[in-house]
Amino acid sequence: MATLSQYAAVIRSKNAGPFELTFDIMFDNREAFETIRRSGVITARLVAQLYGISDNEVLVCRAYDPALSFKITIRRRVSSDDFGESDVYGCQQHIPLTAIEIPCPRVD
Amino acid sequence: MEQVTGLAPSGSLGSGFNLAAFQNALDAGPDFIGQDAGSTDMGPYYLGTAAPFLPRASYKHDLGLMLDAAREREIPLLVGSCLTSGTRPQLDLTVDIVSELAQERGHSFTMAVIDAELDKEFLKRRLGDGGIDSLGPGEDLTPDLVDRCPHIVAQMGMEPLIHALDAGADVVIAGRACDDAVFAAFPVMKGFDRGLSLHMGKILECAGLSAIPCDLAEPLLGRIESDGFLVWPGDPNHRCTSLSVAGHSLYERGDPGIQPGPGGTSDLDHATYRDVDRRTVRVTGSRFIPEPVYRVKLEGAEFVGYRSIVIVGVRDPVLIGQIDDLLQEMRDHADARFSECGPGAFRIDFHVYGKNAVMRHLEPVAGADPHEIGILINVVANDQDLASAVAMYVRGTLQHASYPGIIATAGNLAYPFSPFSVPVGPAYRFAVYHLLPLEDPCECFPMQLVQV
Repeated sequence: MATLSQYAAVIRSKNAGPFELTFDIMFDNREAFETIRRSGVITARLVAQLYGISDNEVLVCRAYDPALSFKITIRRRVSSDDFGESDVYGCQQHIPLTAIEIPCPRVD
Repeated sequence: MEQVTGLAPSGSLGSGFNLAAFQNALDAGPDFIGQDAGSTDMGPYYLGTAAPFLPRASYKHDLGLMLDAAREREIPLLVGSCLTSGTRPQLDLTVDIVSELAQERGHSFTMAVIDAELDKEFLKRRLGDGGIDSLGPGEDLTPDLVDRCPHIVAQMGMEPLIHALDAGADVVIAGRACDDAVFAAFPVMKGFDRGLSLHMGKILECAGLSAIPCDLAEPLLGRIESDGFLVWPGDPNHRCTSLSVAGHSLYERGDPGIQPGPGGTSDLDHATYRDVDRRTVRVTGSRFIPEPVYRVKLEGAEFVGYRSIVIVGVRDPVLIGQIDDLLQEMRDHADARFSECGPGAFRIDFHVYGKNAVMRHLEPVAGADPHEIGILINVVANDQDLASAVAMYVRGTLQHASYPGIIATAGNLAYPFSPFSVPVGPAYRFAVYHLLPLEDPCECFPMQLVQV
């Protein structure tokens, strides 16, 4: 079993405005991107499970072919820098995605 | 014009940029220089207080370099979202810096100053017309909410910037503006496609973040033509690739394909990115889909109280093992001690570094067993003295708290320095994040022309 970080070139999180957190999973070659896309593992349901949130808090979960990327956007329960929040830029929320398990073994 | 070339010195005004690469980029003969100077990204404090993110001298340094370059070549310089949130005091500060630079360096030019801070009475009158939708999960926009926000800005599209250029401005200093509009205004004024111009603006606004190596402080060039645009970095050793540029198109946007803005939506689902040479990318196919109603985004941060903090460290594993229960006890003690202040007079938050301070409810790791932790005691209260009193009371009770298995009775907390309590000042939260329909894209962005 491989993990997503073995396939992806970039996995990052950031604010998309103060009320949303957005994640980019980016690949540096089409083969890796297509492998992940075909595997069908990146779903809104999985994202909700990884972050312990409800399905309807996952606003976007889709592939963006021109950038060999997946885009995921979730609602922030507490907006950036509101009381109880602790990551103003939202740039340290990506780690759970790195460990997503990919069912097919990596072929180099 | 068959093509227009724009130069973005850096992705964030005041943070500095690579001067050799900037000079190299100037040699490419840009027709204008654009610079984004703000964001909501750094939090609501800057919008609430209208204070700039960086010291004045940092902005002056960068603006001086841009102003010299633009005046020497007699090309327009556009600076948007001055200086951090695009409020009126921040705009005034920018005008002050630019005027001072002009005097010191012997430049004279026509400067347009575009205000993006809304007059509250104007906004309250507009509330009655309806049609102001919330973009966040927040409440409806009411006169009361308007009054709770010290500053409310509207994010201008490209039209007020074009209006300023049309009026003969050499330098355009704008309050809150869409990042991409700062770079799209000049090309659209010259007749280039709106969708391509906005997409080029989206790439240029973060400058070298679209290149390899990825660096906000690296100048980036964009050249728009009738059916596409080119982007490449100022540093000859850096590269843009089809993937680095396509990848940046999704940065900080909720949806990669559909990106709404004033007057319509950018559709990037049909954009193509092609490597022209080893460091230049050509983009085609980006489209702008107009909407029947022109709407601009409003931003406001409401005052929530005064913050005081204390930072401490804990190394004792027996205490660390019970930290959650102990912190709850400290809350209960503080509630009892300050009960005379009434409900809601203060709030306490503990950021327990080493144990889920960063991800909080999104954290999947449970039962972390760190050998040391840092605790940020974060108190927001109705006044600064109360915030400090609560923060100091909490740290005092935690300092001498007794707990099962305690082995050290001389104190529980390591302080990195004195004073222990730091008064941080006013605290804010983003509360206005709404769409305001406009009859005219320039109607709430008054422009003033100044001879400098």
